Amino acid sequence: MEEIIKIERVKKRFGDKVVHREINLTVHKGEVLTLMGGSGTGKSVLLRSLIGLDRPDGGSIFFHDDDILKFDEDDLLPIRKRIAYVFQYGALFDSFTVFENLAYPLREHTNMGEAAIRKKVLATLERVGLRGNENLFPSEMSGGMQRRVGVARSIVMDPEVILYDEPTSGLDPFNTRQIVLMIEQLKSQGTTSILVTHDMPTIFRVSDRIAFLREGRIDTLGTRKEIQQSEDPDLVGFINGEKM
Amino acid sequence: MSLSKAIKLIAVGQSSGLKALLGTFEFIGGVSELIAASCRRLLTRPFYPQLVAEQCYSLGVKSLSIAFITALSTGAVMSLQFGYGLERFGGKPYVPRVVGLSIFRELGPVLTCLMISGRVGSGIAAEIASMKVTQQIDAIRALGTDPIRKLVIPRVLALIIMTPLITGMADLFGVLGGMAISATELNIHPDFYLNEGLFALRSSDFTVGIAKTFFFAIIIGFTGCYYGLKTEGGTQGVGQATTHAVVTGSILITIFDFVLTKFFWIFESGLEL
Repeated sequence: MEEIIKIERVKKRFGDKVVHREINLTVHKGEVLTLMGGSGTGKSVLLRSLIGLDRPDGGSIFFHDDDILKFDEDDLLPIRKRIAYVFQYGALFDSFTVFENLAYPLREHTNMGEAAIRKKVLATLERVGLRGNENLFPSEMSGGMQRRVGVARSIVMDPEVILYDEPTSGLDPFNTRQIVLMIEQLKSQGTTSILVTHDMPTIFRVSDRIAFLREGRIDTLGTRKEIQQSEDPDLVGFINGEKM
Repeated sequence: MSLSKAIKLIAVGQSSGLKALLGTFEFIGGVSELIAASCRRLLTRPFYPQLVAEQCYSLGVKSLSIAFITALSTGAVMSLQFGYGLERFGGKPYVPRVVGLSIFRELGPVLTCLMISGRVGSGIAAEIASMKVTQQIDAIRALGTDPIRKLVIPRVLALIIMTPLITGMADLFGVLGGMAISATELNIHPDFYLNEGLFALRSSDFTVGIAKTFFFAIIIGFTGCYYGLKTEGGTQGVGQATTHAVVTGSILITIFDFVLTKFFWIFESGLEL
């Protein structure tokens, strides 16, 4: 399978706290890979590092053949058009309407006219089931709707990879299902997804492979089935909610 | 007080002094970095003139009222103080010139910029800090755009454009305030007041004051943006960023006012020679 992201010997510490001792991981094109692990194991930090929002202290992160850790902020801008990030609480621009939030990357990075942008934005809102809400401001929407607008904003540029930071945490079953369906739909179109989540039903529904982070390393990496059948007491305890 | 308690107090005092010193160095380093990054980006695309125009309205036009009220009352108070003060020495005819000089060279630029620092500096810091704690700054970066181009440069450029204009208009309001009080309280004729307090001044009296405001605009803009961008934590962090932006901005304006005043006097003396 074609490698799209390769993480090699990535290290990260905050002061005295070592978050990543050495992370090695390969992500294949078109797969859904989930990072799971206890709180403070650096799942979100790793996710943020994949588009340069956080900088590891050492190692390499290859996107195709480019080591993005050698890139400065300006060099990373084109990479960020191809790797989208879905923030935990949406991170929508609160002074913009839903339409303007989705139009933002299109206006910045494409030569599309306003009519084409409108068409694309409305079509994307349709995909997340939010057509008709384009004139609302984020403050006028529920948390679940904001999260779905966040997903819509991330996919409006048709990225190669989507990084999801806790996309379903705190959501009601309806909004959780909408996001899960969206991840599955994107997977069927060949989009690569990397998820950070604690939501076990979602993990075991959408993931092709699952990586379990523990003590600053990828402790276990396997397919959904391999993880479900694992007899590692730490992993089993984590999945069953008996251990952190 | 016991010796151990006294030693403890000194240690606490020293550590907070050290902390303040380190904070000052951190501020100087951080702002210098932000200024350098902004200057580099000014030379390359993309540019956002629309955002600069929006900020000119939001930061500049909306600050006109407080600048005018401040200038008007300052001119009025100065006329009253100098009028009654100088009357005892027969110096009442000098009131227009003294008030005009004070306003154009010093009080107009400094008070206007202090007011702008209070209104705009705090607004910039609060807005950017709120965006930081709600991950909107990260979202700008994650969407392949640059927060310095989108947030910092438009605000600083808008301030550099608008602050001298506001100050120029506020100076005139200051003179008008002084003229109104001189006419009603001191029996100084408005024609005499305008001739002495406005037309008899040298052009450098006006330009020196305006020149200072370019520097003050840079101070207000970068200080607000710096504290906004370095905000951490939640709402408490936003509050702290706002306070720091106003306090630091105001202190820097007063310090730089002295430095610039000295510099411009030396410069003007050099020109006269």
